Amino acid sequence: MSIEPITGRYVAVTVGGAPRRIYFEEAGRGRPVICLHTAGADTRQWRHLMNDAEIAASNRLIAFDMPWHGKSLPPEGFETEEYLLTTEAYIETVLAVIDGLGLDRPVLAGCSMGGRIALQLAALHPERFSGFIAIEASDFQPAWYDIDWFHRPDAHGGEMGAALVSANISPFAPNAERWNTLWMFMQSGPGVFRGDLSFYTKDASLIPRLPAIDTAETPVHIIAGAYDLTCTPEDAERTAKAIPGATLAVMDELGHFPMSEHPDGFRPFFVEALEKMPGTVAAAA
Amino acid sequence: MIETFKHIQQSLEATPHLLRLGRLFSETVLIEIDGSEYYLSFEKGHIVSLVEGPSRKTPWRFALRTDAEALEEFWQVRPEPGFHDIFGLVKIGRGRIDGDILSLVKNLRFFKEVLTLARAREELAA
Repeated sequence: MSIEPITGRYVAVTVGGAPRRIYFEEAGRGRPVICLHTAGADTRQWRHLMNDAEIAASNRLIAFDMPWHGKSLPPEGFETEEYLLTTEAYIETVLAVIDGLGLDRPVLAGCSMGGRIALQLAALHPERFSGFIAIEASDFQPAWYDIDWFHRPDAHGGEMGAALVSANISPFAPNAERWNTLWMFMQSGPGVFRGDLSFYTKDASLIPRLPAIDTAETPVHIIAGAYDLTCTPEDAERTAKAIPGATLAVMDELGHFPMSEHPDGFRPFFVEALEKMPGTVAAAA
Repeated sequence: MIETFKHIQQSLEATPHLLRLGRLFSETVLIEIDGSEYYLSFEKGHIVSLVEGPSRKTPWRFALRTDAEALEEFWQVRPEPGFHDIFGLVKIGRGRIDGDILSLVKNLRFFKEVLTLARAREELAA
């Protein structure tokens, strides 16, 4: 029998003038690192890294469920609202959580739409962070699918979403973690994946902001998996080139959900990314 | 190629979870490989007929069009990036999906796992 070091609690914040009850998990101590999940998923994607004793020895990893995801309830009145995530609401939520937790310039690590918003925050609110790790992140991705497939009364959006995103998981991923990763999409609430994808596939506002990111003040490290069909290494490379001083790592055997689909394969890339961030206390070997 | 599809047909009969996932799937699917047509007719998750084209009178619900070389890579245990999924084939320009795509998406896990039954064969042989 063993009990994991991850603890989960709730923090009350205000977003868009209305209260939100945000579920967050944390593990470790030292430099704070905020970890953002992908579209259609939740904090559980980060559980392997949060349980990594060497990483947690010098990093306080904090992951939270966006409203509508995981254990963070949607806001009051959601039953008549069409959920469509926006860049503005996403930024406001991340900053509200940082304030709510009293964090001083954390590192921000985000995957997929979390990586996209990390780059938006690098451009718009760099003073609130010490550095950015943007995983499977790019300037913009138009949809190669119809996002309306994933919210309809005659089929299960979660099962369809999981079947679609399985295209983004590497064949090198251990089978158990492949299916754990897909389970989160299967559990996603009705319309949530669609609403996340709306943000991810329709808002191109990041593109002109990239050249203004000052990596001398806040480093930006981008990581991309070769098996990611949504954010390909070419997409990540294009994005890194547009940010003066940004660095890039390509993972040959990983896909779009590296921390979740293949944690052992992702670990060295995440450790390398952490070492590029300010405030590194000791190298996590 | 028809032998590979026969193998898929037989493997499907030995894969109970796929028969359960496909229990509402009764459609004909066209697989076109280098212009050669193969019609896979499903009935409640079972492949009940495998017919080689060409045919101008066989109705189908959706079609996957690709080439033999791409499919050979697709059926490797660990295909190269892009060849690892039917949507990957589309994305890298080696495949095209036509017809009622929503029907495919509603049955996406089932159909993708049926197609990869040929991949499992190589895994067993390895």
